[in-house]
Amino acid sequence: MQDTEHGGVPVRSQKLFLTSIPAAFMGYDLIEWLMERLGIEESEALNLANQLCQYGYFFPVSDSKNLVVKDDSSLYRFQSPYYWPWQNRPPDNVEYAIYLAKRTLRNKQRHGLEDYELEALSNLRKNLANKWDFITMQAEEQVKLSKVLKKGDKIISDSQERAYWRVHRPPPGMVTSLEQCPVPTRSWNGSRTRKRTIEDCRRDVELLKNSLSRTRVKVSQALEGMVQHVETYAEYDPLITPTQPSNPWVSEDTTYWQLNSALVEIPTEKRVRRWALSMEELVSDPTGLQEFTNYLRKEYSHENIRFWMAVNDLRRSAQSQIQRKVNEIFEEFLAPGAPCEINIDGKTMEKVHQEMKAPSRFTFDAAQEHVYTLLLKKDCYPRFIRSEYYKNLLATGIQPSQKKRFFGFGQTKKKTSTSSAPNQQLLQQQPSQGATVTCGALSKRRGSDRSLSGSAHELAVSGVKDSKVPHSHSQSNLSDIPYRGDLACLPKTSPIAAPVTSPVKKPSIAIVAGASTSEEVCPWESGNEPRSRKNSAQLDSGSSSSDISVAVAEVSERVQRVCTLTQQHTVDGSRKLSTSTMDPPRRASVSVPITHSTTTGDSSKRKVSSFEDNSSAATSTSSSVFVIPSDTDNKAEECTSTSKTVVKNHGLAKACSVTGANAPIISVSSVADDLPVDSKVEEEAEATCSQQEPLAPLAEPDSESPASELPPSEPITEVEVDTEAKSNDVCPWEDDNPVQAKTCSITASAQRTLNPP
Amino acid sequence: MNELDSLRQEAETLKNAIRDARKAACDTSLVQATASLEPIGRVQMRTRRTLRGHLAKIYAMHWGSDSRNLVSASQDGKLIVWDSHTTNKVHAIPLRSSWVMTCAYAPSGSYVACGGLDNICSIYSLKTREGNVRVSRELPGHTGYLSCCRFLDDNQIVTSSGDMSCALWDIETGQQVTSFLGHTGDVMSLSLSPDMRTFVSGACDASAKLWDIREGLCKQTFPGHESDINAVTFFPNGYAFATGSDDATCRLFDIRADQELAMYSHDNIICGITSVAFSKSGRLLLAGYDDFNCNVWDSMKTERAGILAGHDNRVSCLGVTENGMAVGTGSWDSFLRIWN
Repeated sequence: MQDTEHGGVPVRSQKLFLTSIPAAFMGYDLIEWLMERLGIEESEALNLANQLCQYGYFFPVSDSKNLVVKDDSSLYRFQSPYYWPWQNRPPDNVEYAIYLAKRTLRNKQRHGLEDYELEALSNLRKNLANKWDFITMQAEEQVKLSKVLKKGDKIISDSQERAYWRVHRPPPGMVTSLEQCPVPTRSWNGSRTRKRTIEDCRRDVELLKNSLSRTRVKVSQALEGMVQHVETYAEYDPLITPTQPSNPWVSEDTTYWQLNSALVEIPTEKRVRRWALSMEELVSDPTGLQEFTNYLRKEYSHENIRFWMAVNDLRRSAQSQIQRKVNEIFEEFLAPGAPCEINIDGKTMEKVHQEMKAPSRFTFDAAQEHVYTLLLKKDCYPRFIRSEYYKNLLATGIQPSQKKRFFGFGQTKKKTSTSSAPNQQLLQQQPSQGATVTCGALSKRRGSDRSLSGSAHELAVSGVKDSKVPHSHSQSNLSDIPYRGDLACLPKTSPIAAPVTSPVKKPSIAIVAGASTSEEVCPWESGNEPRSRKNSAQLDSGSSSSDISVAVAEVSERVQRVCTLTQQHTVDGSRKLSTSTMDPPRRASVSVPITHSTTTGDSSKRKVSSFEDNSSAATSTSSSVFVIPSDTDNKAEECTSTSKTVVKNHGLAKACSVTGANAPIISVSSVADDLPVDSKVEEEAEATCSQQEPLAPLAEPDSESPASELPPSEPITEVEVDTEAKSNDVCPWEDDNPVQAKTCSITASAQRTLNPP
Repeated sequence: MNELDSLRQEAETLKNAIRDARKAACDTSLVQATASLEPIGRVQMRTRRTLRGHLAKIYAMHWGSDSRNLVSASQDGKLIVWDSHTTNKVHAIPLRSSWVMTCAYAPSGSYVACGGLDNICSIYSLKTREGNVRVSRELPGHTGYLSCCRFLDDNQIVTSSGDMSCALWDIETGQQVTSFLGHTGDVMSLSLSPDMRTFVSGACDASAKLWDIREGLCKQTFPGHESDINAVTFFPNGYAFATGSDDATCRLFDIRADQELAMYSHDNIICGITSVAFSKSGRLLLAGYDDFNCNVWDSMKTERAGILAGHDNRVSCLGVTENGMAVGTGSWDSFLRIWN
């Protein structure tokens, strides 16, 4: 490198502001030389140069503090070989003292000592007091000698010496590469004298015997497994396959983390796909484990997974709680007649009983292993992966891509939803419906609605819908609800119906709440799944969408009935109708929407609202209501088409719920992207519907199980008091269950008392 | 003495027998088996963040399970918990002993642990009721420096030490539950298997050992290296692991085949390896070197796929996030860098 003649780094006297700096080279020359000579990249060359500099093979001429090489015209000088670190001369304090003393003897301006050096000098003077005479003598001698040298040489040797001590006695706060690592010398090959006892040898022999007798897999087989793993997971390796939507480290956009946090409502499609790779993948992902549990719960076989999780929890518990937890687990899962007895064979049971005598973290390991490999892995897991439930998850999974378009859309969406546009559209749609009354109610409603559910959710939903159903104007939650509020207000002109409409308002609240948690409302869920699930907000709407398909059948049937009824109703006067629907036995079998559909004045509007409620209930987000009215009329005639349109309605609504839940996470989603998904989901919903239609009667009994989380008295108070402010998640159309039916009858009677015919 | 000699002799013959058995199982080579595999090309990673704040050499770092926060230990006597994305310091914890050599982040994110020349593993609680960080437990018992520690969960931690042993601790009681004896040199590093039931340790006796955490026994010993093993890391599928050693090589060992499968070395690399980590898929093996660089190896083809150059001093620690998104390196230049 120093061989200038034969292709080394060009070292020469460099001119800098009229002063000539001898024997120096420039940073970029060095870097270039390194790159060329070693065939390495610039970054590596720079790194290597810095390394050499840190070790003191060369040093910056002008900067005595920082040992950094820059790839520019800054100047550097080679260290004299005498000072190279590989000489392994441990820096001596005496030498350092001489060097410092020497500098004190010379020109203050050029050789003045830094603060830390002065401190070091005074320390050394103290410590080396007995040698101090010798040190000063040496220093004087060396100064004298240096005076003989030529000026250029003097500068060079001075700077070299200085650089040497910069490396070996760095200023405070600077690190040196040569500093001895404080790790104690490691003993290698047992060189640290520890007598090996007979015990040690016995243990060694035992281990060796064991390892000799162990079965070894052929290397080819092991490698095959490894290669397979690498190939399978390559697409999940962010360092190999770029991530979607973007790497937050690069783009500063944290969407990725939001989409992939431990527990999400809707996992990304990629994540769901990964669950199919292995059971371990599924259960190591909190969201995956949750979905799996939900699925098993639906199949009434989740005691296994619960046992597995409980044992895992036990293993991670504090020692003091182990006794208690062991007993709890035993009582719940293993004791004869336990509430959630798991199915294990006698041998394992015996083992457990034996272990129970001395409870520990590992008491249930055998049972857990049994459950995991035999029941979960070989039975439940494959079923889960093949199930509709999983396919639904896969279909509804988020597919993040094209970030930019997302962004553009997010802003417009916000605007539409925050502006008063929906109101106006509504008003345009129903110009005849006492606009002045409505407006007041609208603003009031909207305010309360927003406070009920995270506004972000709603905004997103509305925005997405805007794009999706352009012909029906904005069919957002917001616009829906005011619309119903509108309904509620309208009757005020005809005071008879006013209290009767209060149930209509309640559903609207419930729906909004549902939009945020996506499960709160769905009446059919109360039948299908334990209520305990209700507040687990993590439940993604993918799972509820599978419910939807079941519900679609149910609803479609209901709709048919409603149709026949509404047909009747249109013929009859409104007051008469209300009495007829208040007839308890009849209402019990039919859904509530009829009640209020009958009570509202206009016949066509009646149908709209009933459908609206049906559909929005079914999807737990509001859906495109305005598509229906036109269809409804047809439906009255041909019931088969009704189910179709409802399906369609659900298809849309489902997509909405998907994108709706999507939106708060990504905070944006694009029109173009949504539409294909939309139609896909629609098709799917239709397909599932046609499959499930025969099941409809089966689905109905489900709804008989009581929701029971509401005291029956509440709806009454609701009727009496104005419900607008109440954030209640009761669904009056949940009359499917006895409690609600009862409450409805009560409301009905209340209504009757309030509204004398 | 006679018994000792005979035992030694027996051990020697057993070792030979094992060697033969291993040879018998070795029916192919990694290069052959992966010949059909697509090459991955050059892996280029850039420094995305530089975490500045430590005042002295960084000795250890460990990612939190959220793949975003990380803890680092420096010989300025501080543990710093970073939000590596914003580069903010979440916690800066002054230590009683500044000679810290390892640190670990609990999977729950509630605790960090560290230890070093004080021979004590100290557990710090990040989420106390008062909101401050404080020592929640000190685990004395090792007779040598603490070289590595890893949480099993909030209640258990495994440590490796310069006293040639590893230990499992119950944090609540502060008791050593199990002592893992068998290495004949300082244990420098440990890595927990993905299922948390076993761990591998690398030691200055140039061997790596696989231990069963529950039984407390050594299940397998993997010789092969020619010098101290400084770092070990499990292959993501849990059936293999990689080591980094002072002999300037990284090696890949398979547990089921009970032998070395591959060696990652280059004529130009003559310095020791301080740290190793696999990418999410296991295709890339990242290793930190004494020569200030990190090399990225294609683990299947044993070729160098890239280099992370940027530190101005020895790379002392390295880690890949749990989701595989980023690589963190810590160096004696007192900086941490985040790459991807």
